[in-house]
Amino acid sequence: MPLLQSNNFGQVPYQPESVLEFPAGLPGFDDRRRFVAIHMRENEPLVFLQSLEDPGLCFITLPVGAIAPGYRLSMSEEDMGLLGLPAGRQPQFGEDLLGLAVVAVKESGPTANLLAPIVVNLANRRAVQAIAPGSDHSWEHPLLPAEAPVCS
Amino acid sequence: MLVMSRHAGETILIGDEIEIVITQIGRTRVKVGIRAPREVPVVAKEVKLVQDANRAASAPPSPEAISSLLARLQSPVQVFPPAADE
Repeated sequence: MPLLQSNNFGQVPYQPESVLEFPAGLPGFDDRRRFVAIHMRENEPLVFLQSLEDPGLCFITLPVGAIAPGYRLSMSEEDMGLLGLPAGRQPQFGEDLLGLAVVAVKESGPTANLLAPIVVNLANRRAVQAIAPGSDHSWEHPLLPAEAPVCS
Repeated sequence: MLVMSRHAGETILIGDEIEIVITQIGRTRVKVGIRAPREVPVVAKEVKLVQDANRAASAPPSPEAISSLLARLQSPVQVFPPAADE
């Protein structure tokens, strides 16, 4: 089994078939195409996206559903094409489609990028950071401890 | 902000080197052609926002940052796994 190098986690063995391919890279990191999702029981529900090409590049992410239940995807035809999804119908998260929001830990508190979730097609392991222009979602959605659903 | 009205096919100049052409006007979107020097980056604003957000998020996660994040997530109001949406 090949080993990946990570500044955070040291050497980690991984299955070649678990590699996520980002055909377009990520905005700001256009040449980083291959990542592995790392999750550890003690860090549930966090998912770490570790670059295979840069041991120092690791994103903290959270499943979109853990932050915003009922989140609806709004993907461009181009992004759907990159994932090998059929055009003409907005895809939904489900068994084969996973959404991860990139988390930034700042002094003012952690935020998650819901404007541009990372969408993974588990059927072919392709992934894209899908920017939803014109959507109401924020690129810095605060992760507040008091984020309780309000009954009205 | 300066606001100008233009028809399809008409052009706006910014300085001597940047040219913006309104190429097509649809019902809800316009197509815009941009001619600019190679060293001037041209991106949609939301792409720049996400680039900056990714760079800010790409700092290696320190163990303290992770544990403070987990402390927030494990507050009783957060539910995981989320209830199925369908």
